[in-house]
Amino acid sequence: MTDGERVLLGHGSGGKLYRDLVKDVFVNAFANPVLERLDDAAALAPPRGRIAFTTDSHVVQPLRFAGGDIGRLAVAGTVNDLATAAARPLALAAAFIIEEGFPLADLRDLCASAATAAREAGVPIVTGDTKVVERAAADGLFITTTGVGEIVVSHELGSSSVRDGDAVILSGSIGDHAVAILAARGQFTFTADVRSDCAPLWGLVEAAVDAVRGAGGEEALRFLRDPTRGGLTTVLAELAEESGLGIEVEEAAIPVSPAVRSVCDLLGYDPLTLANEGKMVLIVAPEAADAVVAAVQKTKYGREARRIGFVTAAHPGRVALRTPFGTRRVLDMPVGELLPRIC
Amino acid sequence: MTQADELLRLAAALRAEARPDLTFMEVCGTHTMSIARYGLRDLLPEGMRLVSGPGCPVCVTAMADLDRVVALARLPEVTLATFGDLIRVPASRTTLAAERASGADVRVVYSARDAVQIAADEPDREVVFAGIGFETTAPTIAASLLEARARGLANFSVLSMHKTMPLPLKALLDLGETPIGGFLLPGHVSVITGTACYEFLARDYGVAGVVAGFEPHDVLRALLRLVRQVTPAIEIEYGRAVRPEGNVVARRLMEQVFAPSDADWRGLGVIPGSGLALRPEYADADAAVRFPVRLEPPLEPAGCRCGEVLRGVTDPADCALFGARCTPEDPVGACMVSSEGACAARYRYGGIDD
Amino acid sequence: MCLALPMRITAVDGALATIATAGLEQRASLMLVPEAKVGDYVLVHAGFAISVLDEAEANETLELLREISAFAADDGVEADDAG
Repeated sequence: MTDGERVLLGHGSGGKLYRDLVKDVFVNAFANPVLERLDDAAALAPPRGRIAFTTDSHVVQPLRFAGGDIGRLAVAGTVNDLATAAARPLALAAAFIIEEGFPLADLRDLCASAATAAREAGVPIVTGDTKVVERAAADGLFITTTGVGEIVVSHELGSSSVRDGDAVILSGSIGDHAVAILAARGQFTFTADVRSDCAPLWGLVEAAVDAVRGAGGEEALRFLRDPTRGGLTTVLAELAEESGLGIEVEEAAIPVSPAVRSVCDLLGYDPLTLANEGKMVLIVAPEAADAVVAAVQKTKYGREARRIGFVTAAHPGRVALRTPFGTRRVLDMPVGELLPRIC
Repeated sequence: MTQADELLRLAAALRAEARPDLTFMEVCGTHTMSIARYGLRDLLPEGMRLVSGPGCPVCVTAMADLDRVVALARLPEVTLATFGDLIRVPASRTTLAAERASGADVRVVYSARDAVQIAADEPDREVVFAGIGFETTAPTIAASLLEARARGLANFSVLSMHKTMPLPLKALLDLGETPIGGFLLPGHVSVITGTACYEFLARDYGVAGVVAGFEPHDVLRALLRLVRQVTPAIEIEYGRAVRPEGNVVARRLMEQVFAPSDADWRGLGVIPGSGLALRPEYADADAAVRFPVRLEPPLEPAGCRCGEVLRGVTDPADCALFGARCTPEDPVGACMVSSEGACAARYRYGGIDD
Repeated sequence: MCLALPMRITAVDGALATIATAGLEQRASLMLVPEAKVGDYVLVHAGFAISVLDEAEANETLELLREISAFAADDGVEADDAG
C-alpha cells in the first residue's frame, strides 16, 4: 500500500483488503507474538492475583494535540484505569472505527503512537477489531480500548478504605490536557505554552505500591483515581460523598502551570475542574505519605508530586479548599460543558 | 510582608474600624464571584453584611429578551453567536444549549470580533450576535459592528440587550427595600465610564461608593475606604486601571453606535434610559429589526426569587428553591446559572463551618 | 461583571496587538485604546484592550495572582496541619 492511500469501506468488510490492512497497519505497529497469530480471540495465561478489567472509548477532537494524540490517549487512558485498581496491565484490546477516506499515513502514525505508549507501559495490544463507516459517520477515528490487568495488592482499594487523617497526594500539575485540547481546537485563538500530560501511569503507581510496602504495609494505600473529565474537584467530591468523610486541600499546594493559569484567568475557567490524562490522586495513610511522595517524585510522570491535603472527620461528605489567605470554601462538582465567560 | 499577611492586616483593620451593622452592596457579579471564591466573608467583621446587587448581565436579562435570542437561534439561516455565559440560562421554555442539541446553529465566542470573523468566513450565514453586558462590553460590540461595516459584511447583526450601570443603583435606592450604607462599585465598568456618573449617589442620596478591583486585597481595601469615609463620597480604589474620566474613546464608540433606551431588568422592571439600542443608522445591523419574530408571552418560573436576590432583598439561601429545586446542574433562575449570579456563587463557594 | 486580564503588548499590527502573559499569547484589538504601544500593559476584556495600566501597578496584580500559584508556594501540606 502506498502512502497516498485512504481507508476504504472495503477495508472493513472482512475480506483480503481487511486482512491486508490489519497486517500492514496494526500488526506492524503493535508487533507481538499473540497479535501476530491473528486469532479471533487472544489466549492468555491467567495471572496469580485478582484480575482488573476495564474499557474506554476515545472520541477526542482534534485527533492530534500538543503532547499527544488519540492513539497515545487510547492506551494511556486504559492503562491508567487499570492502575487505579493497582493493577499491572497485562493485555489490551483495541477496536477502531474509522471513517471512510481517512488517510492511511495518519492511521499508521496514530498506531505508532499507541504502540509507543503501550511499549512504555509494558503491555501488548493482543487483539482488536476494525470497522469502516461511511464518510461523516465517525469524525475521522474512534478507538475503544479494553484492558485486563493483574491486581498486585491483596486489600480493597477504594473509598471505603479511606480514613480520617489520610494524606491526599496529587502526582503533578493540573489542567494541562484540557488546555492543550482547547488550544488545538482553535475555537478561541490563543497560543499557550502547554502540552497535554497524556501518559501511562502504571510505573508511577507501582512505585507508590513499593513505597507503602516499605513504610506501613500495603493497606496504607487506600485509594487511587485519575482526574480525567471533571478534574480534581470531581475526584475529591465523589470520594467525599462515597466515603462519608470530609476532605481539605490547600489551594496553594495544587500545582498549576503559568500558561494554564493564564488561560483560565482569560476565559473564566477553574483549573481544578479541568481534565487531565496523566495525573493520579493517591490517598495514603499518614505514616506512609512522605515515602509515597518521594517515590512518585522519582518517576517520569510524577516529578511534581506533593501532598495537597488530608481527609478529615469534619464536614463529612464535603470538600473544603483552603485559600492562600487562610479562608475556606467548598468545592462542588462542576456542571455541564466547559464554557468560557466574559462575566 | 507576604500578600497573605497583607490581606489579614487589612481584615484586622476592617474589624477594628467598622461600626456594627453596616450593609454594603457589591454591585458587580465579578465581585460576587471574587468574594465567594476567596472566602472573604470569613474575614469580614461580625456585623458587616455584603449583599449582591444587579450587576450580573446574564441574571438581569429579562425573560422576553432570552426568548427572542432563542427565536432567532431557531431561524434556519441564522448562526447565533454568543458569549458562553448565555448558553445554559433558562428562557421561558428552553435553553440555547438545548436548542443547539436540537440542531440550532449556536456558537460560543470569546469576543464579538470572533463573531465578525464567522460572518466573513461564512457569507451565506446570517450571523447574529447576542449582545449582553454593561459598559465594559458594549464598546467592544460597537467596535466589532463598525469593523463588520468596514469589511463590507452585510451578514453580521447584533441583538442588543446591553444595559448601563448607574441607573439601576438609583432605582434600588428609590425602592428603599434595603438600607445600603455604601456601594462597592464595578471595577471594569468604571474603567469605561469613569466616576462622574456615580456622583449622584453621594450628592443626592448620601450613599458612598468606592470603585474596587477584583483581587481580595482590592475588595478589602475598598471596604476599608467605605468604612473610613466621614462624608459620603465616590472614590477609586482601583487606580491602576480606573481613571476618573474613564475611557473616552470607548464611550465615544459606544455612543456612536448605541443610543440610550428603556430596558427591562429582571427584578427591577423597566428602567427608562438604562438600556442601549442600536441607532437608526445601524438598523441594518440590528437583529431585532432585521429578523422580526413573534414571541409567546414569557414564563417566569414559579417560586423563583431571582428578582429579589438581584435587589439585595433576599439572600439566596432564603429562596425555597435554593439547593433543592434550583441547583447549578438544574437551574431554575438565572442567578444560579451565571457563575457570578449570587445564588451560584453561594452554592458553589458557600462557606464551610468550622 | 467583567473578566479582564492584564497582559503585555509584544507587537502591534494596525489596530491589532499581540499580547502576552505567562505562557499565553493572544491577539486583541486596540480600537478602544489607540494610544497603547508595544511594551504597555493593558487590561484585556473579550478580545479588546480596555485600559492601559501603569506598569508598576500591573505588576502588583500579576504578583497577587502569582502569589496564589502553587509554583511560588512551599511543598504541599504537612501532616501536622491535619485536624
